[in-house]
Amino acid sequence: MKHSFIDRYSDRDSLIHRLDPRSKLVMTLAFIAAIVLTPAGSWLVYSLYFVIIATMVLLSKVPISYILRQSLVIIPFVLLVAVFIPFFKEGDVAFGFNIWAWHLSFTHNGLQLLWSILAKSWLSILSLILLTSTTGFASLLKGLERLRMPRVMVMLLSFMYRYIFLLTDEIMRMKQARDSRNLGGKRLRQISTVGNMIGTLFIRSYERGERVYAAMVSRGFDGQSRTLDRLRFSPLDIYFIACISLVLVCINLFNLYW
Amino acid sequence: MHIPDGFLSAAAVGTTYVISAGGVANAVRVARGKIGEKHIPLMGILAAFVFAAQMLNFPIAGGTSGHIIGAALVAILLGPWAAVIIMSVVLIAQSFIFQDGGLLALGANIFNMGIIASFGSYYLYRLINSLLGNNRRGKLVAGFVAAWGSVLLASIACALELALSGVSPMAVVLPAMGGVYALIGIGEGFITIAVLSMVMSTRADLLKLQRI
Repeated sequence: MKHSFIDRYSDRDSLIHRLDPRSKLVMTLAFIAAIVLTPAGSWLVYSLYFVIIATMVLLSKVPISYILRQSLVIIPFVLLVAVFIPFFKEGDVAFGFNIWAWHLSFTHNGLQLLWSILAKSWLSILSLILLTSTTGFASLLKGLERLRMPRVMVMLLSFMYRYIFLLTDEIMRMKQARDSRNLGGKRLRQISTVGNMIGTLFIRSYERGERVYAAMVSRGFDGQSRTLDRLRFSPLDIYFIACISLVLVCINLFNLYW
Repeated sequence: MHIPDGFLSAAAVGTTYVISAGGVANAVRVARGKIGEKHIPLMGILAAFVFAAQMLNFPIAGGTSGHIIGAALVAILLGPWAAVIIMSVVLIAQSFIFQDGGLLALGANIFNMGIIASFGSYYLYRLINSLLGNNRRGKLVAGFVAAWGSVLLASIACALELALSGVSPMAVVLPAMGGVYALIGIGEGFITIAVLSMVMSTRADLLKLQRI
């Protein structure tokens, strides 16, 4: 089983790991909201946010190389959405060129917006990575539940989390079997092989779902989940929430009046 | 098509969160009404299935590869509300685990790839299936168009949100995104009918499940 691709490093011990998942969730959300609402081109504010995240990363003892690598994996997907931004914004033209029949021009305003959005996305991604690499998925779910996320969603997510490993293993085994038979041929043939694999996985998953439900009912499942709840706020959480909120308020006041 | 944080305006974030929360809440209510507490393990495991199926890459063109979204496949096999539940669970987990799609953009992503893609593909499938007749060919053609349409509709919703957030003019983002995803959707279509024809020939009873 390949466990390590989900919530890696979340079982370590540090000041950040010891925080209650609720305070981490709420503060991450507030932090990302502050990042997103910062106007375009406030580079000083962005760098202050970066300093805060960097401090947290150092405190959390999660390897910096891991966090950077994880954030760079996502950047191509961000760029995929961002490519649609810098064309045809009003303003001075920075540079333009002709592709085939189209004339594309990049304006200073458009580019400024593009860089700001990329910076904001990257900062938000860093804070999310910090959250998930310091909080195990199970305690994250417990935190979400206590923050009034509907119980059904929490149960669905915890079921999914339980079976991700199993089903990923299953598809990886099928992939290995396929590759060892030297998959080749035309593209349509390859696509139909992938279709067969997904179809097989669907049938197995559906049957597994029925078996799991039967096993649960025979043990008295009635649609509720009962778990021990050991979440507790500590003084550490109060310091953490107070510090981050104070810093966020200061940065935003500074940004408004300067 | 996962929108990251930083692209959407506060108004777009708020609106899509409200719509998606309402949609998911209703989906859970419908599922509970139809299959009782069984929906919890079944939908949870099928969400893990979509998650695993998205890890399989297939060749598209010119050395690039892609993976399916899966909303159309689940909507055709299990019904649109089940697809809304499954896709939103997948999207929440992807946002937290892989940072694929932002936390504040989650409402928009669930709206595009959960609600729009599921309902769009489900009704496209029903419409074309009834036009072509309920045979193997009719089902496969309907499946292809539904899967292709789910990708296109989701990308159009995504483009509208970006345009309304003021990051890109409508006249640019709408044709550009729609055009790109109309091509990508062909892959989704082919994979979906490959899965459907496989299920049809091995476990045809699974195509007659109660739709949720």
